[in-house]
Amino acid sequence: MGTVALPQVRPVNPALQFLRVVPGVLLLAAIGYAGKLLEANVGKYAKAHHWTFPNIEYVLWAILIGLAISNTVGVPEIFRAGVATYEFWLKAGIVLLGARFLLGDVLKLGGASLALVGIEIVVAIAFMTFLGRAFGLQPKLTSLLAVGSAVCGVSAIIATKGAIDADDEDSSFAIAAILALGALALFTFPLIGHTIHLSDHAYGVWAGLAVDNTAEAAAAGALYSDAAGKLAVLTKTTRNALIGFVVLAYAFYWASRGQAQAVGNKALFLWQKFPKFVLGFLLISALATAAFFSKDQIGALANLSRWAFLLTFAGVGLRTNFKALSKQGLKPFAVGAIGEVVIAAFTLGLVFAAQRVFHW
Amino acid sequence: MSQQEQTAVTPAKQRGFSVDAWAVLLAFVLAALVRAGVFKHIPW
Repeated sequence: MGTVALPQVRPVNPALQFLRVVPGVLLLAAIGYAGKLLEANVGKYAKAHHWTFPNIEYVLWAILIGLAISNTVGVPEIFRAGVATYEFWLKAGIVLLGARFLLGDVLKLGGASLALVGIEIVVAIAFMTFLGRAFGLQPKLTSLLAVGSAVCGVSAIIATKGAIDADDEDSSFAIAAILALGALALFTFPLIGHTIHLSDHAYGVWAGLAVDNTAEAAAAGALYSDAAGKLAVLTKTTRNALIGFVVLAYAFYWASRGQAQAVGNKALFLWQKFPKFVLGFLLISALATAAFFSKDQIGALANLSRWAFLLTFAGVGLRTNFKALSKQGLKPFAVGAIGEVVIAAFTLGLVFAAQRVFHW
Repeated sequence: MSQQEQTAVTPAKQRGFSVDAWAVLLAFVLAALVRAGVFKHIPW
């Protein structure tokens, strides 16, 4: 038997890897800061010239600048590695946000959110599975769309893809549909919230329950108000914490049908899929509750969290290219869109019911 | 795929830290620096 020479995997130099992300991170920071400057100055300028101009927050400016670049000149190659770090900043921002929550509040709010998240996940998976079958989508693509809309967008789709041996094509369809719908949610959710006069608390929980990707959920919350942004991140983090259980259930289902590998060590599987930033968030919250940080220090940590989110919001705009998303096919998008509208309406009903029970 | 052909998914050993772990590490380092008084005031 002949031997096959495998290509050598060259270790990546960490210093080189760091240098590769610098231009993109600087671009995220520049766009985020431009958003802050525009928020501060456009309103003043309009007022000075007696123009009627809506007060646009830095979150929306940062997203709009990113969208404008991505959909016109595109993101040059030199910036791409750094722009892709927006999820890293999102997770660091969520951990630091823990300083703004007392652990008791996290448990109280998280407990209420957990009940709503549980209901949302079951209903979303059942409805997306029904829709996928009704539209004649491939069963594994249906599974990916169901997990993406029920749990946490892109991360959940990637985790499930590996666990159920889905095709690359199916996962890219599902990711494109979830990203396109997340971009639409950024503009529609705040509009609906203001139209029906939702409180910050109710809106934040709704955005956390219904917007799929964590970055978009955080942005949709922050677009409404600072308090709504906090609640949206907390509710979305509760959803993220359940990712392992949902992926495990799908892995069992597809393995039982002989179309995926069986799961070996279940505890290890759950630990690997569990988002570790949730633990970081809880630990920082516990330290803040134990008065480990002074009031000024909590203020400083909150501002660090805001800076990290600012980079994330710039990244959300930069990585959304409508032309590329539109090439991914109409059927998965249609299933995703119908599913998202129904899930958004259902979770809004849940939030109204919870408002009565918990007196938000 | 028959039952015998199915192989258990043994989670692959990851080299280094995941993005999640790096993000948590950075947040803790920043929190420690704030606690130690290295960063006294972060403007917004």
